[in-house]
Amino acid sequence: MTNSATGNLLDELAKLPPAVAEAYQAVADAMAESFSEEETALWAREGVAIGTQTVRSWESAVEYYRVSPEVARSLAFASFMQWARCGTYLSQDSPTLAVAFFKASPSIVTNLRPQYIPRWAGLGRSLYKGTWKSSTLAARFFEVSPDLVRNLPFWDVEVFASLIEALSYKSYDVAAECLVLGRDVLPAMGREREAFLSMSRALTDSSWREVKACLEMAPRALQHVEEGQTGRFLRLGEKLAKMGLRDTSRFLYDGAQALSHVSAGSQGHILDLCEGLLASTPDAVPPFLKSLDPVLNRITLQQLDQWYQHGVELLNENPESGIAFFKIESNTSESMLETLSSSLDLERVKGIMRLYTRALSGENIEVLSTAELVRRQIGWVDQDTASTDGTKVYLPPVIDNYNDKAQNFAWFKVVATHQVSHLEFGSFQFDFVRPANVFDDRRFRMEEAIQARIEAIRTATAEHFQLLDPDAAPSIEVGEGPGGTMRVYTDIGRFLALFEDRRMAFDLFSVLEDCRLDYRIKTEYPGIRRPALDVQGDALIQRPRIEELPLQEALIELLVHMSLDRFEGLPVPQDYREEAYMLARIMHRLRTVRASIEDTGEAALRAYEIISRLQNQQEPEDEFQPEDLDDPGEFSEEEYQALLDKLQAQMSEQQGEEGEGDPYESPEPVEYRGDFKPEMVQLLTKLQMDQSEMGDAEPMTQEELEQLLQDSAELELDAQEGDVDQSMAMFAQNIMKEAGVPPPSNDPGRGYGPILHDDDAGGELEALEPKTFVYDEWDFRANDYKPRWCIVKEKILDEGDPNFYNDSLRNYASLLAHIKRQFELIMPETWRKTYRLIDGEDIDLNSALEAWADLRMNVPPDEKIYWRRNRVERDVAVVFLLDMSASTAEAIDEGRHSVDDRDAPDDPVEYMVWLRRRREGLVRRHYKRIIDLERESCALLINALESIGDTYGIYGFSGYGRENVEFYVIKDIDEQFNDKIKRRIDKVTPLHATRMGSAIRHAVTKLENQDAVTKIMFLISDGRPQDRGYSREGVEKEYAVHDTHQALLEAKRKEIVPFCLTVDKAGHDYLKTMCGDLNYEVLDDIWALPERLPMLYRSLTM
Amino acid sequence: MVEANIEMLEDEPSFKEFAIEEFLVRSEPYYRAVGDELELFEAAYEQHIPVLLKGPTGCGKTRFVEYMAWKLGRPITTVRSEDSQEMREGDVRVPLVTIACHEDLTASDLVGRYLLDANGTRWIDGPMTRAVKAGAILYLDEVVEARKDTTVLIHPLTDHRRILPVEKTGNIIEADDRFLLCISYNPHYQSALKDLKHSTRQRFISIEFDYPPIDIEAEIVAKESGCDEDRAHALARLGDKIRNLREHGLAEGASTRLLIYAGRLMRQGIPDRRACQVAIVWTLTDEAELQRSIEEVVYSIFE
Repeated sequence: MTNSATGNLLDELAKLPPAVAEAYQAVADAMAESFSEEETALWAREGVAIGTQTVRSWESAVEYYRVSPEVARSLAFASFMQWARCGTYLSQDSPTLAVAFFKASPSIVTNLRPQYIPRWAGLGRSLYKGTWKSSTLAARFFEVSPDLVRNLPFWDVEVFASLIEALSYKSYDVAAECLVLGRDVLPAMGREREAFLSMSRALTDSSWREVKACLEMAPRALQHVEEGQTGRFLRLGEKLAKMGLRDTSRFLYDGAQALSHVSAGSQGHILDLCEGLLASTPDAVPPFLKSLDPVLNRITLQQLDQWYQHGVELLNENPESGIAFFKIESNTSESMLETLSSSLDLERVKGIMRLYTRALSGENIEVLSTAELVRRQIGWVDQDTASTDGTKVYLPPVIDNYNDKAQNFAWFKVVATHQVSHLEFGSFQFDFVRPANVFDDRRFRMEEAIQARIEAIRTATAEHFQLLDPDAAPSIEVGEGPGGTMRVYTDIGRFLALFEDRRMAFDLFSVLEDCRLDYRIKTEYPGIRRPALDVQGDALIQRPRIEELPLQEALIELLVHMSLDRFEGLPVPQDYREEAYMLARIMHRLRTVRASIEDTGEAALRAYEIISRLQNQQEPEDEFQPEDLDDPGEFSEEEYQALLDKLQAQMSEQQGEEGEGDPYESPEPVEYRGDFKPEMVQLLTKLQMDQSEMGDAEPMTQEELEQLLQDSAELELDAQEGDVDQSMAMFAQNIMKEAGVPPPSNDPGRGYGPILHDDDAGGELEALEPKTFVYDEWDFRANDYKPRWCIVKEKILDEGDPNFYNDSLRNYASLLAHIKRQFELIMPETWRKTYRLIDGEDIDLNSALEAWADLRMNVPPDEKIYWRRNRVERDVAVVFLLDMSASTAEAIDEGRHSVDDRDAPDDPVEYMVWLRRRREGLVRRHYKRIIDLERESCALLINALESIGDTYGIYGFSGYGRENVEFYVIKDIDEQFNDKIKRRIDKVTPLHATRMGSAIRHAVTKLENQDAVTKIMFLISDGRPQDRGYSREGVEKEYAVHDTHQALLEAKRKEIVPFCLTVDKAGHDYLKTMCGDLNYEVLDDIWALPERLPMLYRSLTM
Repeated sequence: MVEANIEMLEDEPSFKEFAIEEFLVRSEPYYRAVGDELELFEAAYEQHIPVLLKGPTGCGKTRFVEYMAWKLGRPITTVRSEDSQEMREGDVRVPLVTIACHEDLTASDLVGRYLLDANGTRWIDGPMTRAVKAGAILYLDEVVEARKDTTVLIHPLTDHRRILPVEKTGNIIEADDRFLLCISYNPHYQSALKDLKHSTRQRFISIEFDYPPIDIEAEIVAKESGCDEDRAHALARLGDKIRNLREHGLAEGASTRLLIYAGRLMRQGIPDRRACQVAIVWTLTDEAELQRSIEEVVYSIFE
């Protein structure tokens, strides 16, 4: 570089702030290494050019110089100057821009082909619109550029930049945010980036805000979509966006979610469907995708097509209903899904199943999900197998064995029928001493033999001990071996104690019993013969091959096959043909309606005696020959005995000859037959019985129970699945619990909507959801109503245990009779005279005279000359409102009831009531709460009301805040009394607060619609009304009290008789205000509630 | 024209009309005794003890009374002379007067009333009066339904007096020796409103009826409906199962009568399941779930 030139340059640099010159000096030497002298001069001069563009462009010049060496390393001089020139132009527009440009350059130039540099600069430049905000955005662009360029092809960067530009017209802030998001998100996208950008571009026209949301959403959403389908999916979004869909991000999210639930390879098909919809009604696409997940939970992909087609047809007819269809908000859609979906939830058919099983068994059977049984931990472990414990039938929660709903239902039915048949045909009624019907009773002899043997051992041992030490007390336990003392607790246990291998005996017992039952079912219920055969057929397919099992198991498997109605072509080991035939004969003998459970026992005993004498060894496969065992001949005890003797002889011969054979393994369970646990059921029943007749016999202790369980053959089966010994104690506890009274459950009903917090602030409310109602509220200070102030949500109370109802009736049996008599007296025999009747009590003088006159005139007289008193029908409609506020959880002080007898009533009936109550108070550990008495009273009342036939409704109310007044239906006024209502009473539990006014208003609405002469609204509460925002500071109590008063007055105006009954002893002070001159009563003795309530009702309706 | 008239005459519906107390059970009604009810009734009849038949609807109470009327009358073969109607040998002569009670049935409906005619008033005996005079078995079906004033009549008739005071005419009628009052009532309907007072109840001996055991019911169904034995047995079993649902939503179990109806439909060629549906399921309840449950029982029992 010439000195003059250098001096010249320095002069010019001197005109700029010193930082420029410093920057130049710092890199000048380095640059000289890269470029020739001439070139270096040009470079330096360009810096001056940059620096002199505008007032603040010196900053860009500094930056220019600073990065130059780095840039120069990557660019040839020509390209370098092109780059520098770009900077100059930018600097001309905005130094900030130029600074950002230069700053980004070192990393850009390594990744970007030189010819693109001007275009890149141009991209940034195009974002600059001369405003401060736009320059920030453009600068931002340059900042993120290195990352973009490094990770994206340049054309994508260009598209993205144009997207940002388009956005910048709407909002610089959003554009800037998207810029950063894009930097983070776009690189991760693969081939779908193009489609995504194009979709986003489309969005900028219609709903630009969505771009950001989409960018945020995309990485998460798109990972659910199959790689090959993302492009299509995004193009779908693009098209929708172009057609005016507003929330594309939502669509992306929902859509991707929906697609993620579709099995791999089928997403394309779904997208086909979407595109089909796009062509006709784009609006239907988002709902379709949104519904996809729930829909596919119920139906298969093939069925989806049918559903979809139907929707498309609807769309063509009427877009509105088509869209509702895809939203599954139409009945058509729902019912179509219903028909298509083949899997069957137990919940849906539980009611039917319950009645069905009750009808079949004649017992009060509950149908429950097996999940429940497993939860109880009393020995049943498998969720998928049905079972019964004698009073409850457990069925699997879902059935989807077949592709057809009807078939699945049939499966349910077959399973349920099989379970109920245990009850119907007495599987659990095994009685050791009751003679069998079709077999001789061999088990007695067996037991005697065993006992004799034990006795012999005992004496022998005793003698032995005696010899050793004559003083030692002969306390010898013969715990080992069959016949141990504990096992006689149940009859089944006593029976199984006869066998050495109890498990095999029990397996045989189960198979034979199932065979007996299936046979009975087939003869008694020909209607399910076909589905039962189908189910058996399916079970047969899953059975192991007989040929592959060792001998004992093979023979048992043979029995299983036969029990499943398969007799033809069964492989029989030829060496044991005789045994197989004998087993078949034993089994066939059970296939008669005469066979009882004791016969099953006898059959099992015989089968055991045969099989246990064989060695459990694998037989060669060619030993097995197919045989038809459908008619093996008649069973005869003599032949059987002969076979047994032969086997016994063989056994003694073989002794010591060969190995023992394989250890015995139980056969695979037959799925549809479920768990059969007769011993457990007998045990539970027995425990329950023992508990109910307390004092009679010493109830079983937990230790004894544990011992018993350890011996149980049924448990041995399950022991494989977990360490039973370990959990034995807990297990026994659970069983004890099961046998005893279950502890009361305190959980309030499920499914009550979330509690919103909304204070006094805010205005009118809208009832948007179904079954919600809006009511005004009275503000006594304003002396006016607050319009639409409270939302009452009507909900049907959950169903609990019906036993609460029945128990209440039982506990108050004598009171019940008393109430009933009183109620009989209520009947208001209001007589009204009716005149001009053809017949009656007496002649009506007026009409008689007329008739007489007619007769005299030879005119046919009117024959209606009598009058009669007609009874006016009792016509009462009543609504009971129960306070379900949290305060009803208060325990009732029962101390005084436990000691003093002074308040014992004289009347014998009342005395009995009193006594019972007192005893309950003593015996029951669970304290009683106010709500419990409310519930009990409710039960008594229902019973009484049912007998006089009044129309009545029972509701509970609680709530939290004015938008959550919960109104629980226990019995709706139009509902017929049924089991459900009994169940609901059990679920009456303390909940939240008490906003009485609205509850009363809603009850009044209910009554208003009733067409009765007398209408009564009966309020039962435990204290003053209170709720958030209902009872405020200072005047708090008054507000609620006044509103309630007003509500009661409204009722009265509508010719409804309101009555308040409170158990709050302090009730007098506010009830006076609350009820005014209306009727109320303060019940001093809460215990009197069950008695007082019906009486009050009676006097009200007299 | 004439010929046409004759044809018309031939087509005319055939019915028989009887005076109320002349209605006799002429041929042996089918009745299958379950217990000792025949002996009990016969003894009561001989001893003039009124009989109360308790039992659910359609279990055979009315048929039982019919049968008893026939059985009790059978040995007596004398012909009543005052009537022109000739009675053949073997015909019965214990008439049966059946009155279905309803809410508006009053005492005068039973006893009789004055009717107006051109010459003034004329007394007409009510069915009860006629039965008392004719020595019939008077059967008040569902007696709790009747108005309470009927008890005024029932009481003097049912104790040792055996009289019927006819208030309006001022007469008292002493019952014929063969007269017997028999009432029926269904304890399942009981409510405080409709229950027999003890003063009434305790004038009767009570025979309890219930649906017969399966085997007997099958026999009855087979006999009455004419369907084959298997079906009859299946129907009887169905009845038994459905009755298990009493108090689980079903007010009353399927009556034997309904089972017979189903059997008759089957005999006419209606498919089994359909016959049960129309004769039993839909008759018993309107509640969908209950219908479905009973149907499932039907489907299990019938193919």
